[in-house]
Amino acid sequence: MKTESSVISRRDFIGKTAGGIGAGLVLGAPSILRASQDEAADKIHVALVGFGKQGKVLLDAMSNIPGLHFQAICDIWDYNLKGGIAKVRALQGHTPKGYADIDEMLATEKSLDAAIVATPDFWHSPHTIKCLEAGLHVYCEKMMANTIDAARAMVRAMEKTGKLCQIGHQRRSNPRYRYTLEQLIKGKNICGQIVNINGQWNRAVSSSQDIGYNPKLAIKPEILARYGFKDMHQFMNWRTYRDLSGGPISDLGAHQIDIFNWFLGVSPKSVFASGGNDYFKTREHFDNVMTIFDYETPQGGVRAFYQVLTTTSAGGGYYESFMGTEATINISERSAYTNIYRESSAPPWDDLVSRGFLKRQAAAPKVQSADAIASYESAAPEAYALPGDLSKPPHQPHLENFFDAVRGKAALNCDARHAFESEAPIYWVNPSALSRQPINLTAEHLSV
Amino acid sequence: MKKQHIASTVFTIAALAIAGCEKKSPQEAAAGGEAPSTIAKGVPLNTEFPPELIEGTPQPMDVPNLVQALVEPPKLLVPESTTLLSKGKMVTGSEESPLIGELSLITDGDKEAGEGYYVELSGGPQWVQIDLEQSAEVSAVWVWHFHSQKRAYNDVVIQISDDAEFKTGVTTIYNNDYDDSSKLGKGSDSPYVESRFGLLVDAKGAKGRYVRLHSQGNTSNDSNHYIEVEVHGKAL
Repeated sequence: MKTESSVISRRDFIGKTAGGIGAGLVLGAPSILRASQDEAADKIHVALVGFGKQGKVLLDAMSNIPGLHFQAICDIWDYNLKGGIAKVRALQGHTPKGYADIDEMLATEKSLDAAIVATPDFWHSPHTIKCLEAGLHVYCEKMMANTIDAARAMVRAMEKTGKLCQIGHQRRSNPRYRYTLEQLIKGKNICGQIVNINGQWNRAVSSSQDIGYNPKLAIKPEILARYGFKDMHQFMNWRTYRDLSGGPISDLGAHQIDIFNWFLGVSPKSVFASGGNDYFKTREHFDNVMTIFDYETPQGGVRAFYQVLTTTSAGGGYYESFMGTEATINISERSAYTNIYRESSAPPWDDLVSRGFLKRQAAAPKVQSADAIASYESAAPEAYALPGDLSKPPHQPHLENFFDAVRGKAALNCDARHAFESEAPIYWVNPSALSRQPINLTAEHLSV
Repeated sequence: MKKQHIASTVFTIAALAIAGCEKKSPQEAAAGGEAPSTIAKGVPLNTEFPPELIEGTPQPMDVPNLVQALVEPPKLLVPESTTLLSKGKMVTGSEESPLIGELSLITDGDKEAGEGYYVELSGGPQWVQIDLEQSAEVSAVWVWHFHSQKRAYNDVVIQISDDAEFKTGVTTIYNNDYDDSSKLGKGSDSPYVESRFGLLVDAKGAKGRYVRLHSQGNTSNDSNHYIEVEVHGKAL
């Protein structure tokens, strides 16, 4: 802990060093400012805002990060609040203070450094802005907000307060994704010209059912109403309501469309989407959505197809596929879905394999077929794998990056401005699907 | 969390050899779509199953010999006099105050996957214990740890005894702690993926008043969970 004789307080130090770095530096930028050994050993005092499913996932991921002190937990559901307090007590041996109301928490807890916001999407923007304006650095789950204007307000608040605001696109800190982009796509131009992208997240009906709860634990109606929920069903299933979230394209698609935009380094020029309530007839949001984005990159045009289906697991789970003239990269948070395929016309990769950039996969068995059509097919591409794997919970590297930035040891990998630039096209998917019209994306659509 | 298993060809071959000459548990038989292979006479054991509800993103499960999630109920023949003995019975545990929920949820009859139906105990080796109030001849124990996500619990060991301290007269009816990391003895049962059909264990008439269930985290996190445990048998 910091000594009394220190010139600046821990909170001042954290704020000044973080402000010195500023938001939105390039990926992997070296640290500009470094905390002293004493400062680095100091605890960061953290508030957990929202302790539902995702709040628990984030706490599990943070439990492996040293130097954190979970000081307060805020959740309107007493069940979540009690569970959060008990889990933190078990983790750190100290009981955090619990609050149902964020305003009360921020008014009472004056020594907080950072907040982890994992509330429903329509609360992300108000909660993030409250915390930033109270002087806290914020890690907020994606999607930034349920409306583009609310997301814009988050960017403005981050830049006005000078505090850090990391958005939870955790793949941005995943070593597999960073290695693929920095070492293979940019460093080795391994894909040649990327000409097409395909991505999907397909979930079975069984994984898309309404979330249940024990009615004995229901929140009182007046409390639900105070925080914007019509009833417990809305509270538990806010992802299916239009006023509370962006639906599956936002909830699941945002992770992967973010990768499209991050890897290409540009925003799409247009979006054309189709969606429907094909199985869950009474849900406000589409249960299935298909989207085409058109990009113009320095190398040429790229079309990207993305589908999110909450009605079938067909097609092999969730991944992004970057298709190039010389190689195709299939990448996912799951290593099982990650492979790189060399086009037969591309230069050999023996050197990349011998230097450890790639691992050669066992050759796929040749298909024996008398089908005459098969003779028109291109030769099957060779499959390669990435070296290494992520040995941590998927969210941990992104949280580590956030806390490193709070300590002044790193730049954020996904600050609110960069997240907004990547998320902005997603806000136009549902309008395109609803109107059944393509939307040309202009600066007005995509800028803060 | 249990240490990562290093895949071994030798291990796999050995396991296949053993699998070929041993009777399968109800879980393994159901996973393979086979008929039960325990006792020849008796009546089918039935229970009510909760609806399927899977949430969130699947987490990797790097566990050897993993029995995949059941898509149909496991089957077991039990003596005709078998009844549900555990409903509403007192539950104690290695942790007096669970992190989430209460121990009484384990015998309350609710097997739903949603919030408020499960009890969560801290990480590391933990146990819960059901007091049947009198000694019984136990035919089967049916366990639902947590089924709103496909995951496997580590070092699941189920024991029956008349000794509340489990120091004497202990019968182990299930043990998938393949590397004895819980120090309760090395087990030969297969780890399994949780599902709404639970884990059905043939207790083969083991006698005792207390049923103790051990675990040590799961493939998604360090915590230990229980939604429901049913003990079926005949009170003595």
